[in-house]
Amino acid sequence: MDSRLGSVAVEIIVNGEKRAAVAEPRMLLSDFLRHGLGLTGTHVGCEQGVCGACTVLIDGQPARSCLTFAVQVEGAQVETVEGMAKAGELSDIQQAYRSAHGLQCGFCTPGFLASTQALLQENPDPTDEQIREYLSGNVCRCTGYQGIVAAVRSAADARKASSHGS
Amino acid sequence: MQRVEDPRLLAGRGRFVDDVAFPGMLHAAFVRSPHAHARIVSVDASAALAVDGVLAVYTAKDVDWLAPLVSSGPMRDDVCVQSRTPLAASTARHVGDPVAVVVARSPYLAEDGRDLVDVEWDALPPVVDPLQALEPDSPLVDEELGTNNICHAEQSAGDVDAAFADADYVTSIRFHSGRSTAAPIEGRGVVAEYEDRGGGRYNIYSSTQMPHLLRMFIAPVLGVPAGRVTIKAPDVGGAFGLKCTVFPEDIVIPAVARLSGHPVKWIEDRWENLAAGVHSKDMVCTMEIAAKADGTMTAFRGRFVTDSGAYSSVPFSPLVDSQVAGVYLSSCYDVQNVAYSIDNPLTNKCQIGAVRGVGWVPGQLAREVAIDRLARTMGKDPVELRLQNMIGPEVYTTPFGQTYDGGSYAAALEQARDAVDYAEFRQRQLRAREDGRYLGVGFSPFVEPTGWASASAAAGGMPIPFFDTASVTVETDGSVTVTTGLHSDGQGHETTLAQVTADELGVAMDSVRIVYGDTDSSVFGMGTYASRSAVLGFGSIRESAGQVRDRLTRIAASLLEADPSDIDLVDGVARVKGVPDKSVPLQQIALFGYFGGTARPDDIQRDGLTATAGYDPGETYANGCAAAVVEVDVETGLVTIEQLAAVEDCGVVLNPTIVKGQVAGAIANGIGIALLEELAYEDNGEFISGNLINYLYPSTTEVPSLTLHSIETPSAVSAGGVKGVGEAGTIAAPAAIVNAITDALSPFGITIEKTPVTPEYLRQLLRAADHDRNKLVGA
Ligand code: FES
Ligand code: FES
Repeated sequence: MDSRLGSVAVEIIVNGEKRAAVAEPRMLLSDFLRHGLGLTGTHVGCEQGVCGACTVLIDGQPARSCLTFAVQVEGAQVETVEGMAKAGELSDIQQAYRSAHGLQCGFCTPGFLASTQALLQENPDPTDEQIREYLSGNVCRCTGYQGIVAAVRSAADARKASSHGS
Repeated sequence: MQRVEDPRLLAGRGRFVDDVAFPGMLHAAFVRSPHAHARIVSVDASAALAVDGVLAVYTAKDVDWLAPLVSSGPMRDDVCVQSRTPLAASTARHVGDPVAVVVARSPYLAEDGRDLVDVEWDALPPVVDPLQALEPDSPLVDEELGTNNICHAEQSAGDVDAAFADADYVTSIRFHSGRSTAAPIEGRGVVAEYEDRGGGRYNIYSSTQMPHLLRMFIAPVLGVPAGRVTIKAPDVGGAFGLKCTVFPEDIVIPAVARLSGHPVKWIEDRWENLAAGVHSKDMVCTMEIAAKADGTMTAFRGRFVTDSGAYSSVPFSPLVDSQVAGVYLSSCYDVQNVAYSIDNPLTNKCQIGAVRGVGWVPGQLAREVAIDRLARTMGKDPVELRLQNMIGPEVYTTPFGQTYDGGSYAAALEQARDAVDYAEFRQRQLRAREDGRYLGVGFSPFVEPTGWASASAAAGGMPIPFFDTASVTVETDGSVTVTTGLHSDGQGHETTLAQVTADELGVAMDSVRIVYGDTDSSVFGMGTYASRSAVLGFGSIRESAGQVRDRLTRIAASLLEADPSDIDLVDGVARVKGVPDKSVPLQQIALFGYFGGTARPDDIQRDGLTATAGYDPGETYANGCAAAVVEVDVETGLVTIEQLAAVEDCGVVLNPTIVKGQVAGAIANGIGIALLEELAYEDNGEFISGNLINYLYPSTTEVPSLTLHSIETPSAVSAGGVKGVGEAGTIAAPAAIVNAITDALSPFGITIEKTPVTPEYLRQLLRAADHDRNKLVGA
C-alpha cells in the first residue's frame, strides 16, 4: 500500500523468515503483516484493542498487533497463524480446534490460536477456569466458547499424554 | 465429523473481503454525520484534496445518477415505502449517516482526507423517544413520508375483550427490550471494480450472507441489469443477520469505482459497524395475560413499538422485529384469544434490521416475563403453570393461523426442568438465602419458525415468496459439484451440504464440492438467514440429487443388465442387489452418462448428469426451552450464570456437532442481550456505544459451560423431517435469565422492566426496594 510521511524500511523475522517492507511510522503491525507482507491470516476485528482477533506472538509473548506499530517490532520475532501448520500439517492446537468444533466462521480463530499457544507455553496443564481466564481477552461471536475451551483442554491433555509416554 | 472448511480457516488461508486486492486498488473512507439530525449546508473538500494521495471526494451530487435505494418492506399495503439516496443529499438522519466518501491511495490517507472534509451543518431537532415520535406534534424524521410511523397494524383472534372481562386474574407488564446488534468480529466490507466492457459491469466482493439478493437490490440502483453485476463472498467472518441487509455503502463503493476508474476497497471500522450498520430488538412492549382461577390462561394481548431508527432497512424493514413479536404471540401455549398491535416509529438513530433472534427475542421476553409474574401473583409454580397451558405435541394451528409441524413443547420444558434439578434447586435456594446468597431459576420455552420459505413467511405476516434452488452435477470422473445460493458464514455448509449430497448419491463425502458465495457460479438463491438453510439446502439438494441419482441408477442398470430397482448405489459403486460381484464404479457410469451416445436414455442424452431443482417447503417450526440458574450479588448487582441448560428440538438433526455449535453460539448471544449489550444514545441523539469497551460482548468468563440436550421431533412437512436451528438459543436465553434474576430477588419484590440487566440497573432496583421496605418498617 502507498505510504508517506517519513516512511522507513521495517525488517522483522516472521515465522522464522526475515522479511522487510516499507512502513509509515504510524502503520499498525496488523496492517504491516496483512497488507505489507501479505500475511492475511492475522485478522482485524476492532482496532480498539478489545477483540483479540489480531493477536500474534512477539518474541513469544501474545500481543495485539492493532495496538502495536510496525516500527516498534523492528528486528523482533513475530509468529503469526501462517507459521503454525508445518508442511501443510495442522499443529496439535489447530487440530484440536478442528476436532472440538472450536471455530465456525474462523475470523477470531487466528487470535485464539496465538493465545492458546502462549497459554500452553506458560502453563502446560491449565484448569478449565484458567483456560477461560486466559482467553477472556479474545472474543468469539460464533461459538459460545464451548468448542474453544474443549479444544484447549484436549490439546493440553494430548501434550501431557505424549510427554508421559516418552 | 470434521468440517471441510476448517483446514483453510485454521491455517490463516481463508479469503475474507479485506484479504482481496486488485491491482491499482484505491481505499475509501466515509464522512459521516456527527449529528443525530442535521441539514447539510455545504461540503468543502478542498483541504482533503490537498493531501497527497487523496484522489477524490464524492458527495451525493457526484452520484446523483444512482437511483434511490427503496425500502418497500414485506410487500404489504400497510407498510410505508421509504426511499433514500445512498449518500445523504440534504439531511443526515442519524449519527453515522454517510454524507461523502474520500478515495485515496491507502486507508490511512483516506482517513486523513475524511478528517479534513469540512461539512457545515445546521442542526435540526432530533427525534429520540419512539413513543413521542408517534405523537402528532412530533418533528418528522423523513419529511417526504409525512409520518414517522412506517407501519401500524393490529390483529386479533377469538374474543379478547370478553376473556379479559371474565378473567379472575389479569397480569400486565411493560418491558423495554434493549438495543443490541450483531457485531460480528468481521465487520462489513466491499471491494468493487468497474469494467468498461460488455456495456459496463461491476465485479464486487462483499461480506454478505445473500449474494443474489444483494445483486438483485443494487443492480437497479446502479442502473445496470443484474447480469452486469457479480457478487462474490468467499469467506464471511460472521454475519448474524447484519449482512442480510442492503446498505448504502454496497452501492456507493461500486459507484465510486466507476467514477474514479480504479477498483475501490472499503473496510468498515468498529465504530462504523456499531453506529451505522443495523441495530436490533429495541422494542417497548406491553403484555397482558387474562387467566382463570385454576391457572388456565385465556387471553394474551401485546403492544409492540419498535424504535425503528432513521430508515426502513432493505429488505426486511423494522417489521422484522415488531411484526414477528406480535404474530407469534401465543407461542407454545393453548391460548385462543390473542391480540396485538405494532408500531414502527422512525427516530434519529441507526436503522433496525434483521439480527439473530429478531423480534422473537422481545416477544419472548414480554410473554415469558409476564407468565412468571402471573405465576407469582397466583402463587403457582411457573413450570406447572406453563405445562398446564401448553399445546400438545401434534400438528397444531395457532389462532393467527400458523400451522406448527409437531414439536416437543411440554417435553422440552420438562427436560429443561430436570436438567437444572428443579426440585432440588428450590431446597438449595432456600438454604442459600439463609446465608444471604440469592439464587434464582428461570424458564423460557419457545417456538421458532425456521425453514423460512413462502408459507412460513406468509404465516408470519411477511408475505414475501422465499425459495431456494440447488444444482447438482456428477462430473465426467464421478466427482460431484453442487451449487447453491445459500451462503455460509460459519454454519459449515461445505460440510453439511456435502454430507447431504453424499448420502443422497451414495458417494464419498470428499468427492463432493459445494460451490456458493458467487453469483456467477451459483444458482439463484435467497441466502442464509432466519435459520433457513438446513431446511432449504437439504430440500433443494435432495430433490436435485435425487434426479441425478435416478439417472445414474438407470445407466448402471443398463450397464449391468439388471433392473433399476435392483441397483444399490453405495460408496461410489453401483451393485446389483444380492449379486456382489456385479458392480460398476460411479466413474464409469458418469463417463457413459456423458459419452454413451445414443445408447443412453433420451433424457440423459438431453440433460446429462446435471439437475437443478428448487424447494419451497411448508411451515416448519423448531421448539425448545432454556433454563437458567443464576446468582445475584445484591451488594454489586452482578449476575453470575451458574448453569444454562437448553433443550433444542430442530427436527431431524443433520449434523449434531454443528447443531450444538449453533445453539451454543446463539445462547452466548442471548447472554449478551440479557446482561451486557446496549447501544446507547444520549437524549440529544448522540451515540455513545461506538467501541467494544462500551458495547460489551460476552467472553469466556461470562458464558458458562452449557448443558445442551436435544429432542428430535421430525417435521411433519419438510424433506427429511429437518427443521432449522440458527437462532433458538438467542430467542430463549434472555427470558430465562431475566426470570431467573427476578426469582433470585423475589425476597426484595423487584420488577425488571428492561434488558440488559446491568449491575447498575439492578442496584438501582435494589436500592428502591430497600427504600420501600424502610418506609414500611417506619410506618
Ligand atoms: S483488532 Fe486488535 S484487538 Fe480487535
Ligand atoms: S468463529 Fe466466528 S467469531 Fe469466532
